Amino acid sequence: MSAVLEIRNLALGYSELTLFRGLSMDVERGSTLAILGANGSGKSTFVKMLLGLMAPLSGKLSWPDGPPKEIGYLAQMTEFDRRFPLRVRDLVAMGAWKGFGLAGRLDRETSAKVASAMDAAGVLDIADRSLHTLSGGQLQRALFARVIMQDAPLILLDEPFAAVDQTTEAHLLTLIDRWRDEGRAVVLVVHDLSSVLDHCDNALLLGNGEACHGSVDTILTPERLVAQNYLSKSQASWMFRAAREEAAHV
Amino acid sequence: MFELFSELWSFAFMQRAFVATTVLSASVAPIGAFLVLRRLSLAGEAMAHAITPGVVIGFVVAGLSVTSLLVGGLVAGVVAAALTALLARKTILRSDASLASIYLIALAAGIFILSAAGSAVPLKSFLFGSILGIDDASMMLVGGVATFTLVSFAFLLRPLIISTCDPTFFEAQAKRPWLIEQAFMLLLVLNLLAAFKTLGTLMAVGLMILPATSARYWSSTITGQLGLTFFFALASCWVGLTLSYLFPETPSGPAIVLTAGGFFLISVLLGPLGFGGRWRKPSNQTSRSLAQNSNKERPQ
Repeated sequence: MSAVLEIRNLALGYSELTLFRGLSMDVERGSTLAILGANGSGKSTFVKMLLGLMAPLSGKLSWPDGPPKEIGYLAQMTEFDRRFPLRVRDLVAMGAWKGFGLAGRLDRETSAKVASAMDAAGVLDIADRSLHTLSGGQLQRALFARVIMQDAPLILLDEPFAAVDQTTEAHLLTLIDRWRDEGRAVVLVVHDLSSVLDHCDNALLLGNGEACHGSVDTILTPERLVAQNYLSKSQASWMFRAAREEAAHV
Repeated sequence: MFELFSELWSFAFMQRAFVATTVLSASVAPIGAFLVLRRLSLAGEAMAHAITPGVVIGFVVAGLSVTSLLVGGLVAGVVAAALTALLARKTILRSDASLASIYLIALAAGIFILSAAGSAVPLKSFLFGSILGIDDASMMLVGGVATFTLVSFAFLLRPLIISTCDPTFFEAQAKRPWLIEQAFMLLLVLNLLAAFKTLGTLMAVGLMILPATSARYWSSTITGQLGLTFFFALASCWVGLTLSYLFPETPSGPAIVLTAGGFFLISVLLGPLGFGGRWRKPSNQTSRSLAQNSNKERPQ
């Protein structure tokens, strides 16, 4: 599997606070990477660095095929203005705005792509609805359709399932699987240990000044989760005992 | 009615007033629409006050000319915007508190200089504008600012929409996201200066904000929002000017802004996204009002 991004000996943080040091890893094409960590461990900062919004304290980032023209990005919705007078199809078309030129219009081909993206995300039937009339799940589907329109080799999703129901989550996970099968690299910030991790190949666990990268099974062990302050001992004991009992029962 | 308009149009100063406010409406409509959408309505008002000392100093130094207005106002506006951005980025204050601090100081300085200059300054004209006495240079200022604004918006519209609706996404996509904000603030200052002569320092923002807030109650698309903002601004100017003509003691600025206020009240009461939406029987989901929907379904 080839790497879309190579990270070597990375230290990340701010002038007065180093979040972690010594991270070396590849973000591989056709794989899904889950980023986990307690609040303040550097998950969002790591995503900001990947987007080029902040520089690392030290270390090297290299793009073997050159920096991508586009990075698919789904941000947390804290700053999203749902009252903005826009229809779903306009929001989805935003994903291709760089291709429009400064004052260009949506051509027929792009309009067809917008319709196809809305269909894949399950929002084609509400294409002309205003954003303020959408439920949380519908809006998140529309934002996934916008990511499809970005057609990027690297896709960053920051807590994409924070406000959606189980049905929507299951549908959106099929899109993530599809992106991976298409050879894109998907990076997913995950807040909880959940079934979402079944769809991830690798994990990056941040916390306690460390950044550990590897396959999901090797990284998300009770000992490591406790050591990096993601879980308390009692939480880890309860959670993994329940998992073991469930496995034994099956 | 036709006779009234014939009579109005027979006066050269009224012709100038109608042309100037029509062009001004086209110019301030997109600025007002995005001030409202970007939650900068009060920042627009603050900026109008912040550029006052520049305009007053320009007047004291070089007299009541378009050049002194433009240079003084632009310098004050750019300094106020830069100081606000600096304080918001480098200190603990947020941008609203930074702008409030800067504009209060600037306003006090403006009034201080205005008072010190004594009776040489036509205070009433300064505060409320003098649309009925607009000269060639002022017409050129309004026309030039409107042309610059509309051409700029042809390029800025799409980035402005994205940066307003989803600022985090825009920041990740644009190489210099701050450029859009600064360009918009520059257009705001220019339009305030164009509106100063016609509406005065106190009323200039009224023609930007009230038509935009009125339009917000009627339209769910950005095209509709921009079009309706222009319509309400234009209608406010024409009706306000007519009222000002019929009641000669009435200054044109307040007449225009009061008319815009009338449209706002009608929009609040009848607009589908205002109380009008609540009074109608909800037939489908899309007709639900903003207020009904926003709280319970707002995502985290």
